[in-house]
Amino acid sequence: MINSVRNTVLAICNKNNYGYISPSDFNLFGQQAQMDMFEDYFYQYNYQINKVNAHTTGSSYANLAENLLEVIDSFSVYEALVNNPPATNNYSLPAIIIGNTGDFYYINRLQFKNLDIEKVSESKLLNLTNSLLTAPTEEWPAYIVRGNTATIYPDTIAGAGVVFCQYIRYPLAPKWTYSTLTNGEPVFNHTSADYQDFELPLSDEPMLTTKILQYAGISIRETEVVNTMNTMEANENQQEQ
Amino acid sequence: MAYLSGYQYYENAGAVPEDENWGSYQYVSLTDVVNNFMLIYQGNHELVNNINRYQVLFHAKRAIQELNYDAFKEIKALELNVCDDLRFVLPPDFVNWVRLSLFKNGMLYPLTENIQANSAESYLQDNNCNILFDQSGNILQPEHSLLDTERLAGTARTMYLNNDSIYNGSEGYNIDGQWYFDFQIGARYGLNTETANVNPTFRLDKAAGVINFSSGMAGEQCVLEYISDGMNRQPFTGTGSKGDPYVPNPSDVGVKVHKFFEEFIYAYIKYTILNSRFGIQEYVVRRAQKDKSALLRNAKIRISNLHPARLLMNMRGQNKLIK
Repeated sequence: MINSVRNTVLAICNKNNYGYISPSDFNLFGQQAQMDMFEDYFYQYNYQINKVNAHTTGSSYANLAENLLEVIDSFSVYEALVNNPPATNNYSLPAIIIGNTGDFYYINRLQFKNLDIEKVSESKLLNLTNSLLTAPTEEWPAYIVRGNTATIYPDTIAGAGVVFCQYIRYPLAPKWTYSTLTNGEPVFNHTSADYQDFELPLSDEPMLTTKILQYAGISIRETEVVNTMNTMEANENQQEQ
Repeated sequence: MAYLSGYQYYENAGAVPEDENWGSYQYVSLTDVVNNFMLIYQGNHELVNNINRYQVLFHAKRAIQELNYDAFKEIKALELNVCDDLRFVLPPDFVNWVRLSLFKNGMLYPLTENIQANSAESYLQDNNCNILFDQSGNILQPEHSLLDTERLAGTARTMYLNNDSIYNGSEGYNIDGQWYFDFQIGARYGLNTETANVNPTFRLDKAAGVINFSSGMAGEQCVLEYISDGMNRQPFTGTGSKGDPYVPNPSDVGVKVHKFFEEFIYAYIKYTILNSRFGIQEYVVRRAQKDKSALLRNAKIRISNLHPARLLMNMRGQNKLIK
């Protein structure tokens, strides 16, 4: 999808070699656009949930909340957390995963054996642990987050390979790669080791293009491009609701 | 449908204790209750949303406690020997007593709760009845009050018609060659049926956590029937690591509720959550409340196990005026 998007962006912007977008600029704009749309998925999902609860949405193909959930779930990762320091009830939250991603976006749940570990606010921790009825046990474990560390209660839950995490990661940064120049133009090479396509669904290509064009329009100081793309985005959002 | 194989049910698959699963199909565990509630009644499209699991756990446990107090009819029994201190320390999961009995000669004799105090603290006093203090200003106390001392020595008298009765050993009279000692000489009109019991008496000291008996219980076997709250608390094992709060670790394994009350528990949790949340319409709260109350009523009727065969024996005596 990334080459198609780039070609479209260049076709719209690049006129008489005035609006040329370099590969590195395109990658930066692409990352911004993808992150913007990724974040927007969660707002859209919440909006669609409210519509479902108001009985103003259909089922099956018209169930947009389910469709959005599918996209969000495509960024779901499940992995064991690393004990830090070892043999304690402190675990490092996922920071580095494959490729060039940075971080987790949202920790959905921690798991111990076949049980969910419940996230609690640190402001409630002492109330929770001092309550006979709700104190965390190995049947009802809980955790708090301090910085990049999850502390699990009770502290008998410790050691490597016992706590697992399911989280939504950020999309990988897109990278349009090339290896050679032909007539001064870079030639797309998807076999490059650092190649990375957009991770959003194909149906998001028009919106991705629109957003990249907004950034590109600002970059080349072309107000007309920015305004046009803003209008297109607003229209599209209106239609999708 | 059975959820255990026959071998698992009858012999715990060879593990100890063998009776672990006997009768278990009557119950649903606390884990199941909380898990089912979070799955079915909590979510984006449910009345209850964005709730912490510990809140559901709290309300589920409170429901089980309330049911244990009066609806479950699950009465525990503990037999202990009462020694010379005439004291029965309450069991660790004691909430309230149902009945105390003296077990003697193969029979259970129900004991009567003494309507008078049978134990008291005492302060040391001088000849002028002034209370005595130590150097720190604390009141000096004897080990036992006179009331306790006499009760433990078996010299205290009681208004009950047992061996400690004030009439026991008093002057009697002879009628037709038979001596009567249990009544004082003089007119007596009727009998105080409240205290007309030959068995030893007891009185519960809730604050001290003991049951104090009259002297007739010394060396006897006592059976306490009592109710608990169904929480099955285990000893705390939390250690509390450096910088972290002490974490008690009572286990909830074994906390369960009869299946007749399962639907009520869900309704109870739903109601208590909706009732305490901000912005829930009153009609929604009322609906949940009615739901909960109706389900409790149904469950109580079911658990009372009323059916013709059980009533038959009682009904057979319906025409007998003096039973």
